[in-house]
Amino acid sequence: MTTAPIQAGPTSGEWDAPAGAGAAGAPGRGPLLFLIGSALVWLVVSGVFALIASIQLHTPGFLSDCPILTHGRVRVLQETAFVYGWLGTAGPALAVWILGRLSGSPLRGTSWLGVGAAFWNAGLALGLVGIAIGDGTGTALFGLPAYVHPVMLASYAAIAIAGVLAWTGRRRGPMFAAQWYAAAALFLFPWLFSAADIMLVLAPVRGVLQAVVAGWFAQGLWTLWMAPLALAGAYYVVPRLTGKTLPNYDAASLGFWCLVFVGGWTGGRHLIGGPVPAWISTLAVVTTAMLVFHYVVVALNLRPALGAGSVLRFIAFGVGSYVLGGFVDAVTAARSVAVSTQFTTFDQAQQQLALYGGVSMLLYGTLYFAIPRIAGRAWSSADLLRGHFALAATGIALLVVSLGAAGLSQGRDLADPSVSFAAMATHMQVWLLVATGAQAILLLGNLLLAVNFLETAVLKPGSGEGVAS
Amino acid sequence: MKNGFVFFVGIFAALGLSWAGIVLGSNSQVGGLTGYYDDSDGQSYPLRPSGEAAAGLLVYRDLGCASCHTQQVRRPGFGSDQARAWGERQSVARDYIYQTAVQLGDFRYGPDLANLATRKPTAPDRESLMRLLYTGQGAMPAYSFLFETRKISGQASDLALKLPAGLEPRKGRQVVPTARAERLVAYLLSLGTAYDYPEARPAPHAAKEGADK
Repeated sequence: MTTAPIQAGPTSGEWDAPAGAGAAGAPGRGPLLFLIGSALVWLVVSGVFALIASIQLHTPGFLSDCPILTHGRVRVLQETAFVYGWLGTAGPALAVWILGRLSGSPLRGTSWLGVGAAFWNAGLALGLVGIAIGDGTGTALFGLPAYVHPVMLASYAAIAIAGVLAWTGRRRGPMFAAQWYAAAALFLFPWLFSAADIMLVLAPVRGVLQAVVAGWFAQGLWTLWMAPLALAGAYYVVPRLTGKTLPNYDAASLGFWCLVFVGGWTGGRHLIGGPVPAWISTLAVVTTAMLVFHYVVVALNLRPALGAGSVLRFIAFGVGSYVLGGFVDAVTAARSVAVSTQFTTFDQAQQQLALYGGVSMLLYGTLYFAIPRIAGRAWSSADLLRGHFALAATGIALLVVSLGAAGLSQGRDLADPSVSFAAMATHMQVWLLVATGAQAILLLGNLLLAVNFLETAVLKPGSGEGVAS
Repeated sequence: MKNGFVFFVGIFAALGLSWAGIVLGSNSQVGGLTGYYDDSDGQSYPLRPSGEAAAGLLVYRDLGCASCHTQQVRRPGFGSDQARAWGERQSVARDYIYQTAVQLGDFRYGPDLANLATRKPTAPDRESLMRLLYTGQGAMPAYSFLFETRKISGQASDLALKLPAGLEPRKGRQVVPTARAERLVAYLLSLGTAYDYPEARPAPHAAKEGADK
């Protein structure tokens, strides 16, 4: 392994490939780049669906003649492409890469990684077609048709093998926070997914228990899979880019165990007032409040991300959104608040704050840090990177604020029985138009990232050929 | 944290505990619910949906109707559900025991449908639901692909929609619901929570149990 080529452009900085990049990351380079590249394709696809779904809210007739694009289906397509296609493909790839780097030896099991990546994407593509023709399960964050579930599980396991081997084969000594989060995310997804599969598809539970299981699964997927995937990246990247150890690192393990042990209990906050045992949502009130401890620890640990730097800016934005989202969750879990935010776009604003502002931004930051080290080349354009940040930050802020404002207006109107649904939609109109604009901005930003990735990792002929060992 | 095995057991226990607490806990509470037999009526409630209604639930689910409509009336004093005449009582777990895929929903861009067929004072009938699906209304788009426009040969079909002026098809043609539309409407007309279970009655403040079920 020779020194990776470094493109020292006029703006070369932290995103350049460091000397010696790829020493541990070189095996598995192809599959990792394939996973991340396909994640970016799904990100753009979900952006297109998000735009359609957003337009349909203020212009209901848009594409409604087309049975495969009813609003209900487009929303599931968007969510599935985003969660399983983008977060669920880029996240595990980066987690495997991080575990490999921290293990101190080259990645093993990389052919499994390649096979898993191929089948994961094939299963997902088939699943999206299935949703479009009406085969989805109709459960939040679990919309993939039942017939692709085995493929998703098996291919996920194949992808995770490389990470698990790196984790078990790590050098002796204490594990780092990035390793806890990455390893936990890799292990927890198959358990969660197969438990939901058994209780909702193979041997469905009766009646409202389905809603309870769905709530438990959706919240688990968020707190025990997506959030840890994102945090693994942040805990790995921040100390490396700042060159300092993390402050208050002693508390990090408490923060981790708080998330893992408490997170699974918070699912009831969407079932407030519903026909389920009331203690489920009471428990959610208590546990979302307890989870604030986790968010505080994350904020304390990762506060050095606030320093300058174009990659750190993504992480800082991500940490800020993640922590803010946690506090908002704790507030809206209370019945007196939920009575007016429940069933409105305020819920969607919270979800976008968490998934886009939090998890996606953290993954963007990790990705900008990792790609030069995986591919052995610097990013081809620093301008595209800066442009992506500007568009993503603007888009997310606009999206969250507009959906939040629309939700408050909707909540007020729902509470007043004299306001008709037509009037309610009119009151929300302006904000929903802003949300559509925000989705367009986000789509544009993600296209910049995709183009930059394409130029960096795929299209640069010649350079870096020697990196793959 | 050094010990990988302890770590592994720890995260497994964390997930297992939340599963046991939430899923098993609520299963022991509502998992065994059966129909409520009413002596004076001589039958048990909720009524089992007809085969066509059960098939319609799948149409409801695959079109994603739940992305804009909820099916859960909340208790009096919690939101305006009663004031909007969506149901005279809150929905309870027993209402859903015969539904193969429960569609509680989490977004209200249209009215709640839990009690659609037994709403007071006026519940929609088959004809008006068909028309609504075909033409759309306000924020609800038209689902015209659930209908066929056919040439009238001989006598017009009994099932043909009676459409308002401006929306009717060309002369000599009629709009007929497809089988999917029929199933969907059969399902919508099976949605009712009119029967008053003991646990659905608002409990007086002194007697707490049952109030929040």
